[in-house]
Amino acid sequence: MKKKNWLMLLLVGIITLVLAACGGGDDKKESSKEKVDTNALPDTATNKDEAIKGGTLKVGLVSDSPFQGIFNWELYEDAYDSEIMAYASNSIFDTKEDFLISDKGLAKLDVDEDAKKATITIQKDVKWSDGEPFTIDDVIFPYYIIADKDYTGVRYDADLQNIVGAVEYHDGKADDISGIKKIDDHTAEITFKKISPAIYSGGDGLWGYAEPKHQLKDIKIKDLVKSDEVRKNPVTLGAFVIDKIVNGESVQFKANENYWKGQPKLDKVVLEVVPSSSAAASMKAGKYDILTSYPANAYGDIKELKNTQILGRPELSYSYLGFKEGKYDTKKGEVVVDENAKMSDQKVRQAVAYAMNIEEVTDAYYDGLRERANSLIPPVFSTYYDSKLKGYNYDLDKAKSLLEEAGYKDTNNDGYVEDPDGKEFTIKLAAMSGSDKDEKIVQFYIQNWKAAGLKVELTTGRTIEFNSFYDKVQADDKDIDMFMAAWGTGTNPSPSGLYSKTAQFNFSRYTTPELETLLSNIDSKEALDSDYRAEAFTKWQEYMSEQAVTVPMYFRTEIVPVNNRVKGYDIKYVDGAELQNLELTADAPVK
Amino acid sequence: MWKTVVRRFLIMIPQLFVLSLLIFILAKMMPGDPFTGLITPDTDPNRIEELRELAGLNDPWYIQYMHWIANIFQGDFGDSYTFKVSVASLIGDRGMNTLWLSLVSVILTYLIAIPLGVIAGRYQNTLRDKSIVLYSFISYAIPTFVLALIFLYIFGYQLQWFPTSGTVDVSHDKDSWGYFWSKVYHLILPAVTYAFLATTGIIQYLRSEIIDSQTQDYVKTARSKGIPMKKVYTRHIFRNSLLPIAAFLGFSITGILGGSVFIETIFGFPGMGQLFIQSISARDYSVITTLIMLYGFLALLGSLLSDIILSIVDPRIRIE
Repeated sequence: MKKKNWLMLLLVGIITLVLAACGGGDDKKESSKEKVDTNALPDTATNKDEAIKGGTLKVGLVSDSPFQGIFNWELYEDAYDSEIMAYASNSIFDTKEDFLISDKGLAKLDVDEDAKKATITIQKDVKWSDGEPFTIDDVIFPYYIIADKDYTGVRYDADLQNIVGAVEYHDGKADDISGIKKIDDHTAEITFKKISPAIYSGGDGLWGYAEPKHQLKDIKIKDLVKSDEVRKNPVTLGAFVIDKIVNGESVQFKANENYWKGQPKLDKVVLEVVPSSSAAASMKAGKYDILTSYPANAYGDIKELKNTQILGRPELSYSYLGFKEGKYDTKKGEVVVDENAKMSDQKVRQAVAYAMNIEEVTDAYYDGLRERANSLIPPVFSTYYDSKLKGYNYDLDKAKSLLEEAGYKDTNNDGYVEDPDGKEFTIKLAAMSGSDKDEKIVQFYIQNWKAAGLKVELTTGRTIEFNSFYDKVQADDKDIDMFMAAWGTGTNPSPSGLYSKTAQFNFSRYTTPELETLLSNIDSKEALDSDYRAEAFTKWQEYMSEQAVTVPMYFRTEIVPVNNRVKGYDIKYVDGAELQNLELTADAPVK
Repeated sequence: MWKTVVRRFLIMIPQLFVLSLLIFILAKMMPGDPFTGLITPDTDPNRIEELRELAGLNDPWYIQYMHWIANIFQGDFGDSYTFKVSVASLIGDRGMNTLWLSLVSVILTYLIAIPLGVIAGRYQNTLRDKSIVLYSFISYAIPTFVLALIFLYIFGYQLQWFPTSGTVDVSHDKDSWGYFWSKVYHLILPAVTYAFLATTGIIQYLRSEIIDSQTQDYVKTARSKGIPMKKVYTRHIFRNSLLPIAAFLGFSITGILGGSVFIETIFGFPGMGQLFIQSISARDYSVITTLIMLYGFLALLGSLLSDIILSIVDPRIRIE
């Protein structure tokens, strides 16, 4: 047992290789160049067979580490915990297209934009899983958890502080949050300092979950995260209730007979962590009905399985190539653009973007489960996404001519262009390390750029480990001229947290007065009108594309393998699967 | 001898102190911190900065170190940044898993290795010896993760004899027989995998020791006194050949808590090895430092134990 010092990376890489070998020689990952039509992957599992009564749904959570087991929406940090909580969710709002709050959920939202007030009305006669009535106090309680002085989570943020009186409560200057008023047992009114269109996406400080006040009220906030009420037996409003749990490994749920949409047809759900090295084998052996967090790059291992349907849906994220245009002044708290930055010439940036053959990468390395992104808004936000935007499709000639226009020519015949002053021009690229695939892809792009005459070298000479990467990018390391990274957008697409002048996460350190105007238009009062907002989004996307400071690279597709015995399952974002309607058509998963 | 043991324990104190200083500085030098991973467009950078401040990560390192050491003396190893539980209970949880797995593994290892080593040595150059040597070459050459994956694939997925991940089935009530049996059942496959790989060294040592011993004077004396060959092997040669293995025993005992990253990861078995690697990549300082301190202490203890065991089994060696 002396091998603990081995690098995890090596392990992951090697396991992937071996897994491929273990798959009985059907390693088609590298060889299959045929592209998956991502639109053709269904989002609904079809099954016409007769359903059995009850049954246990077996869910595999693909992860190489144990889950953290914090089952509380105010405190959790890990995405795996939220996947587990989805079966016992306390979410009170339902959403429609573009993830805007609809009227179909447990609670209804009415916003008075002029008075900067929101009224939340909850349904009557709803019960918690332990039979206690669900009241408006349970909706108000989470605000008090987050604003508590002993709260140690990340959610006491600028958004929450937008609620009138939250800061005073946090600082101990008030006994209550003055902006939150209980009207009656089913209605509350929240007053905000400002209201933007984001409130309809659950932003501006509005909180989308309820917590069982009757269960949690006597626990000190600082002890909450360690308490059994959060870790072992949380009371819920969701379709299932946690019955038993093995720390970090598995959870057994039973049906919540008090579920407000009706008692689930299934008896139980058992969820287990499955190591990524054997996820495909477990699906093949009929161990699980559903695998969540299945890695899209292992699509090849399951695509031939006869007992499995593969569902797909777009991820709420994009990968991008960013250029460093300045620095972040931490004292002033704003971005300072450096006009002499190496990548300050728009034409050079565009040339870099045109020279990348992204489509070949998505076909060869990602089975088409990633596609070239044209915009910084994922297409799922159909109202805001600008489908007409062309983006930077591969065009080597254009890249070359743009460089020439900008005055970058190869003066010493070494195959690489020199800058307008005739000095050598080398671009430093920072890229994150991950699988061996990532390394190959970066090398592929470096070859692409070479073909256009651009000399690109890796910062530090190799791909960089995650923590180190963000340390360098955030500190505006002078050895980074451009970097490859990704953002998950969440359900609120407003880009100002990533691109505004004051945003620390504006990693490109780029800002112009025009950009600021475009950004503030998106979240302005006028944008409460959805047509105006859509227009504002389009203008911003066009501007960003033109400037080419943050060049979108890929949109990703999430895949979910589902066993053939599952009936009534789908992964649509709008009107998706209702857990209480899930059924099974056999006693055990089909092999 | 007891004097020496006490003295060795006293020497451990400055050794561990230097170790603590070293690992603390090294841990802080790693790029990033526990909050780096929280970056998403939805998190507020100012809040992250606040949390850093609250956790004392913005203090100079020596102040952080003093806090840490002071807390350790009060038996408080801090909370894990990732799991939000106390480090002691986290390590307790994972440590128990690893302890059981290692214990079963080590017992299995010796159960397999000692008879094989003895047979190979006694019947040198026969078919039996050759097949045992072949076996040990194979188990030496095969990488841990390859064997683990092969075993998992054959016995877990194809034949479905054993569970494929976790330490226990979730459906059992704690403290029931079913729960206990389920734990044992989950241990078998990873333990066999480990034992299969760990036998090589012991078999080879034992084999060559036995072959060497056969020509020793005391064996000739015993034979000339008319003791049957069988008895010579069991009474004289076997005991002497175990010496080098006994020397390792101390390390084996303390190494039990080390865990194996490969086996734990492939069998989805939450143990110490995995915890260690993951806390490094998540920059979970409190867990990293505590684990290294623990491993450091165990290594020192292991060498002491080995010396003590040797002095017991081999009267020629004395600790003074």
